[in-house]
Amino acid sequence: MTIDTPLRKLASPRLTLVLFVLFGAGVLGAHFSKLSPTWTLAVPLLLFALNLLAAIVVNPVFRRRIPLLVFHLALLALIVLVAVSRLTYLRGHVELTDGETFRGRISGVESGPLHPWHLDREVFTQEGFTINYDPGIQRDRTRSRVEWLDSRGRRHVGVIGDQHPLVLGGYRFYTTYNKGFAPTFTWYPVSGGPPRRGSIHLPSYPENEYRQALQWTLPGTHVALWTELQIDERILNPKRPSQFRVPTHYRLIVRLKGARYVLQPGDHIDLPGGRLVYDGLRTWMGYQVFYDWTTPWLLAACLVAMLSLAWHYGGRFAARPWLADGDDSEDIRPKSDETGIKAPSSHPRKFPSRLIFSICTRLGFR
Amino acid sequence: MEREALLLWLAVGVYVAAGSLAIVGVVMGKRPERTVLGLLVLGLALHGLSIGLRWERLGHGPYLTMFEILSSNIWSLLFIFSLAYWRFRPIRPIAAVVVPLVFIMMGWMLLLNRGPGHLPATYNTIWLAIHILFGKVFLGTVLVAVGMAGVILLRRAGVGVQKLSRLPDDRRLDDLAYRFMALGFIFETLMLIAGAIWAQNAWGRYWSWDPLETWSFITWVVLAFALHLRATLKPAPRRGAVLILTVFVLAFLTFFGVPFISKVPHQGAI
Ligand code: HEM
Repeated sequence: MTIDTPLRKLASPRLTLVLFVLFGAGVLGAHFSKLSPTWTLAVPLLLFALNLLAAIVVNPVFRRRIPLLVFHLALLALIVLVAVSRLTYLRGHVELTDGETFRGRISGVESGPLHPWHLDREVFTQEGFTINYDPGIQRDRTRSRVEWLDSRGRRHVGVIGDQHPLVLGGYRFYTTYNKGFAPTFTWYPVSGGPPRRGSIHLPSYPENEYRQALQWTLPGTHVALWTELQIDERILNPKRPSQFRVPTHYRLIVRLKGARYVLQPGDHIDLPGGRLVYDGLRTWMGYQVFYDWTTPWLLAACLVAMLSLAWHYGGRFAARPWLADGDDSEDIRPKSDETGIKAPSSHPRKFPSRLIFSICTRLGFR
Repeated sequence: MEREALLLWLAVGVYVAAGSLAIVGVVMGKRPERTVLGLLVLGLALHGLSIGLRWERLGHGPYLTMFEILSSNIWSLLFIFSLAYWRFRPIRPIAAVVVPLVFIMMGWMLLLNRGPGHLPATYNTIWLAIHILFGKVFLGTVLVAVGMAGVILLRRAGVGVQKLSRLPDDRRLDDLAYRFMALGFIFETLMLIAGAIWAQNAWGRYWSWDPLETWSFITWVVLAFALHLRATLKPAPRRGAVLILTVFVLAFLTFFGVPFISKVPHQGAI
């Protein structure tokens, strides 16, 4: 028994096959059982990395075939990058009313334990949006106007939506289908404190067209208000192209302990703790927030992997005709009597000098 | 509209003639190969024209409705198959395996509603075109491999052994089939990468394990497994052929089956 036997065992290409099965099972397991893919895949990926590292050390095929080595190193880099990505990513969402400024508060946060939190430094203001609808109430282009300050304090105005997120400090803000109407109020407490302005986000429109109501609590009180928006016109026309907009004909109904109020902008309700003024109806946009600094590197690793794999196959296919006698596959089993001395390759490397010629002649142009 | 439909029906008729002739040729031991190739090219031209007219009329490529997806895939599969048929003379009889598969797809396509779909704003990107193109090349190369795998399995099952004897022996078929699988692997990987770039731009995530992503990834893993298995254990051509079929079935279900069960979040209906 030699010293490197455990390494050879770890490098076994049969183990690679087993790991492929384990990996596939991990993907299916996560898909059908709703387990987190991060965990069902982490174990097989770690084993893959060990298996591959050992194979790169032990298996002479990786010295004979440099493109194959580069391909597998790129795979290794991908595994490392995916791990780093899982440790540092962030995902979440935020809803902003027209005129509201984002100051770093998001909900539904999912993030890696090493996420470098600096979301509170990224500030932008929502300036309203338009969404076109095709007949059949099919959503078309979204254009959301935003304003932000860069790190030098310069003001920028831009339109984002669909393929174009707002990117601030590596955080990407994407518009979503989740948007709707936002009745806006100002609350003047009798205690004399400063008035508080805020809006409530009614359920997403038009998804919840017939459920435009919400129960909410006045700030600093236990007063629960039930608010409903009754739209008396057709906003999105199923027969014609139309645009998402604030209705002009609507009623805002507020119910409070059996009392019912129908409010127009400027109307108010006097309550024991203060006065609630209805300022008007606006819109809110739901953004998806995403952070992952590894994405360009992931892409680079994928491209290196693909180029080297094409190089590997290009060289191999060019070396022998497409309908040659016998078997074309290379044996990746390390030989038991492997000395480490470079074995004469049965398929001399002919890339790239002959590749173009070979593609023309071998790819059938015979 | 009528011209589109007429061209499509004509194309299907010509495809059926080409396919039937290819099958009869194998069964009768005849070689009407030039006629088959000529008919395939004619069918592709008519079908391509029909797809082009629809594209022009609706203002988007054939990738929205199931009808469009099937139609464009039948075109691309037959295009890639015709290239292989043209270039690799000795394997031409694999048409007897490939053509019936495409016939099934044609029958399905003709049953579908040909109405227009809605183009979501997120489909308005070059990455979608790249993604689709790579996917089509992937499926096409795997289909050619399936033709060879089918011959290997038919021979093993003792079906038409004599009729298929004109083809190269199993080892050489297996070798060629796996070259196509290797090409398929590259194109499938590129398809996944382009899809991830599109998804990142359109929905703010490059991968989210939705059913389509999960099943295309499973197909990718099985294909990588097949390539490794072949290099490691050197299985007999019959086993290699079973693996090729497995990859094809998975890819087929991913392309044409998953859209039925998946409520894709990006359809833009709301
Ligand atoms: C996600 C993981 C992996 C993928 C997708 C992958 C893919 C591939 C591909 C496509 C080939 C070329 C096969 C051919 O030429 O027919 C290959 C070859 C090879 N792989 Fe991997 N591989 C992976 C992981 C590994 C691991 C973990 C090992 C470690 C043992 C390994 C070792 C090898 C060897 C030694 C070859 C040479 C075979 C040849 O040239 O035919 N691979 N791999």
